[in-house]
Amino acid sequence: MMEVREHREDLLQRLPVLRISFIVLLLAIASSYWFVQVVQGGYYRTLAENNRLRKLSVMAPRGLIYDRDGRVLVGNVPSYNLLLDRSRSRDVGASFDFAAQILGRAPEELEEAAERLPSGSPFAPVLIAENLSLSQVARFSVANLEHPEFEIDVGHLRLYRHGPLTAHVLGYLGEVTADDLRQAGSPYRSGDLVGKKGIEQTFDRELRGTNGERVVVVDSRGRSREEFGGRAAQAGEDVRLTLDLALQERAARYFEARVGAAVALDPRSGEIRLLVSAPSYNPNLFARRLDRSEWQQLLESPHDPLQNRALQNTYSPGSIFKIVVAVAGLSEGFTEEKDAVYCSGGARIYNRRFRCWRRQGHGWVNLREAIKKSCDVYFYYLGQKLGIDRLAEYARRFGLGQHTGVDIAGEKPGLVPDLEWSLQARGTTWYPGETISVAIGQGPLLVTPLQIASVLATTANGGSRVVPHLRKMEGPARREPTGLDPRALGVVGDALWAVVNDGGTGAAARLAGFDIAGKTGTVQVVEQKTWVDSRDLPFDKRDHAWFGAFGPVEWPELVVVVFVEHGGKGSAEAAPLAKLIYEEYRNDRDTRRPS
Amino acid sequence: MRNTGTIATLAGLPEERPTVRYLAGVRWGLLVAALLLSLVGLATIHSASSELALDYLPRQALRLGLGLLACALVFTIDYQTLTKFSLPIYLTGIALLVLVLVFGREAGGARSWLSFGAAQLQPSDFAKLATALLLARYLAGVNRRYLTPAQILAAVSMVLAPMALVALEPDLGGSLMFLPMLAGMLLVAGIRWRYLVAGSIVIAVVGAGLWNFATRDYQRQRVKTFLAPESEPLGAGYQLRQSKIAVGSGQLTGRGYMQGTQSQLRFLPARHTDFIFAVLAEEWGFLGAMLVLALYGAYVLNGARVAVRARDRTAILLVVGLLSWFSFHVLYNTAMVVGLVPITGIPLPFLSYGGSFTLANFVATGLILGVDFRRYVNR
Repeated sequence: MMEVREHREDLLQRLPVLRISFIVLLLAIASSYWFVQVVQGGYYRTLAENNRLRKLSVMAPRGLIYDRDGRVLVGNVPSYNLLLDRSRSRDVGASFDFAAQILGRAPEELEEAAERLPSGSPFAPVLIAENLSLSQVARFSVANLEHPEFEIDVGHLRLYRHGPLTAHVLGYLGEVTADDLRQAGSPYRSGDLVGKKGIEQTFDRELRGTNGERVVVVDSRGRSREEFGGRAAQAGEDVRLTLDLALQERAARYFEARVGAAVALDPRSGEIRLLVSAPSYNPNLFARRLDRSEWQQLLESPHDPLQNRALQNTYSPGSIFKIVVAVAGLSEGFTEEKDAVYCSGGARIYNRRFRCWRRQGHGWVNLREAIKKSCDVYFYYLGQKLGIDRLAEYARRFGLGQHTGVDIAGEKPGLVPDLEWSLQARGTTWYPGETISVAIGQGPLLVTPLQIASVLATTANGGSRVVPHLRKMEGPARREPTGLDPRALGVVGDALWAVVNDGGTGAAARLAGFDIAGKTGTVQVVEQKTWVDSRDLPFDKRDHAWFGAFGPVEWPELVVVVFVEHGGKGSAEAAPLAKLIYEEYRNDRDTRRPS
Repeated sequence: MRNTGTIATLAGLPEERPTVRYLAGVRWGLLVAALLLSLVGLATIHSASSELALDYLPRQALRLGLGLLACALVFTIDYQTLTKFSLPIYLTGIALLVLVLVFGREAGGARSWLSFGAAQLQPSDFAKLATALLLARYLAGVNRRYLTPAQILAAVSMVLAPMALVALEPDLGGSLMFLPMLAGMLLVAGIRWRYLVAGSIVIAVVGAGLWNFATRDYQRQRVKTFLAPESEPLGAGYQLRQSKIAVGSGQLTGRGYMQGTQSQLRFLPARHTDFIFAVLAEEWGFLGAMLVLALYGAYVLNGARVAVRARDRTAILLVVGLLSWFSFHVLYNTAMVVGLVPITGIPLPFLSYGGSFTLANFVATGLILGVDFRRYVNR
């Protein structure tokens, strides 16, 4: 026991080493707290604020689109989008697997989506899936404890009430492209949905409104605790169209089994009441981002439903062009009303034989008869007298070969050939024989159905050009003079009345009590050596059918153009739809008029 | 003055000593520091868990009560008696560690809990106390100025057995906590520098071997994260980053009680257990953190004073072992929270939420107070 006590002193000698080490280490730790809390405190305070404050974009509800009577064509429905906050995920791979399982999609697909829409910061949530069903939303909510990295964002989804019926007018939304973003003053941000076609595209800036911003205090699960500030979203403006849904429906029904386009507009103002292109597509597919197979399916479907045939495709006008040739001939003094030409079913001009569509010929025909029966021989001679440059000049006065100015992007200008065009575009001179073809609306001449509607509007309103448009505008319509002779237009207009009402080729469009004036057209797609009934040919070699009309003749209110691709004869395939449209128009007008 | 106080009778003390002297014999500084720290702990646990469905305050308060009871109980038992039975106590500790490996409840990737109905016990804390008692007894019996290599090896092997069992759970951090205790006791018992250097080399070699062959990925990741926390801000570096933001954003005076955004908005994980000091530093600032560090300083220095005044080698060695263990927890945890050392599961005494560890701290406090109380007795 004594020895033990002796060595007690040794132990005590060594104690201060431990005590001093403890004090030194404690002071060292205290000084690092000084450094982190006092010296660097401001920096960490900022980090803490960034941790808890989050800026959230509030999507402005997009403006609605109405038809002329205030019927909603496009509305918004709520949609649930899935966001992933990678900073809260313990294992990002597992997060993708979990989400993929609920959504029934491949994890790689979701990872791709996350890569596609970078949010700028690794701590900001990225959009990985859109338009979740309510049951999917519920499953993510239930799993919030195990998977706090997922957030559900409520957005708006475009709902096109009438689907394919208005697709070519309204267009659809799609993701903003890199080119759009690069444009100076672009209001768009990466991942935004913007109008891609039609009215959605043309009036995108009005429709989209201004997105708002919320600054919220969030916890580590990303759940917002309180509002901190921000800016309210401004809803987009509504757009009222001139479109008449009833007429649209009537035409679409007719085109269910046909390919082509129909346009109806008011010749006084240019208001488009009907614009149909068939086949069509369902724009609601585009409201969410399409996947590759859906795209492929659309691109591969027959007759290219994405193409707007009313203004993006060009065709030969066929006999409808005779309106332009007749007006040119009368105005330039190359023909008079009474002048008659003998049609034997063909003519030899420039040492070449040109056939009339009617094998047995029309006999002696004057201008009225030639238009009424659509005699080709009459117009061969008239075209020969006028020459290509005069024909071209009148075609341009009627608005051909140029944009009509309609408020839908992607419009084609068509082609009005003349000598200069031939030298520049083809590097060859213009052959006089080609003029003969152009005189009946064949040859290199190309037009869109909308341009033909414009030609008929000019004919109907006494020589003014109106700009076809879909957005309802206040104030008087803009009408530009074309310098066309009103007398000549009157003579041709009278002949067009005869086409429908006096035993002409447009008899199928005749409507009792509502006088329509119109012109048929049948376009040969493949040149035929002899007279062939195109119904015997394969579909893509059959003739195109045209019918253009205005009515009522005394005070024209509506121009209708019907174009049936590979439909056959204009008199049989195109004219009947015009009649149906006028009928619908008249009935609707009469029920509105107070009796 | 005749006073036949019950405590004196129970503890076998001479009866003629007056009550006032008994009270003066208690190392009040140590006890007050422990109590104040426990109260700070309760308040901080309440703040750190206020956003959870369950407030941890009542449960921790219950443990504080149990801890004080254990402290008083241990205080009444003579440490000589405890060291006399240190071998059976030690063997019991080993047995519990084996039991936990077989029947233990798994939590957080380690099998370290034994369930007794509603109560749960972490045997590794009990094993540390038992090992301290055995080491104190063994090293006190060594009647030399410096320990021989054989004696050092004997002491090391006494520690290695429970250490290995804890490491198998696997709880690497918990098993390493035997080392500061061993180091402190060997140093005071007398170890030549050359053995210290040799020992360090052995630990380094063995450590490198363990690093390569015996550590789990998550353990290696923690060290790597510590070395380069910004390299992986979304993964394992998250804890460290959030902790530093919490501490730093507290600045000089803190954000106010229950006002720390890092803890109240749940950005900081493990905020009521291993990272409770980050919550405190965030809400009370540098001043609050320093006050708490000062309380730890007061506890340890009061304890050191007990060692200096103790009358025998056993007492000195026991107190040194317990204090080394305690100090290491304090130093490592506070250094970890501020990002000075790698993150590992080392709780902060008296502040962190947890039953067994709180109990172990109060038992150690009772032991130290008991040693001091009997400084005139065991001559």
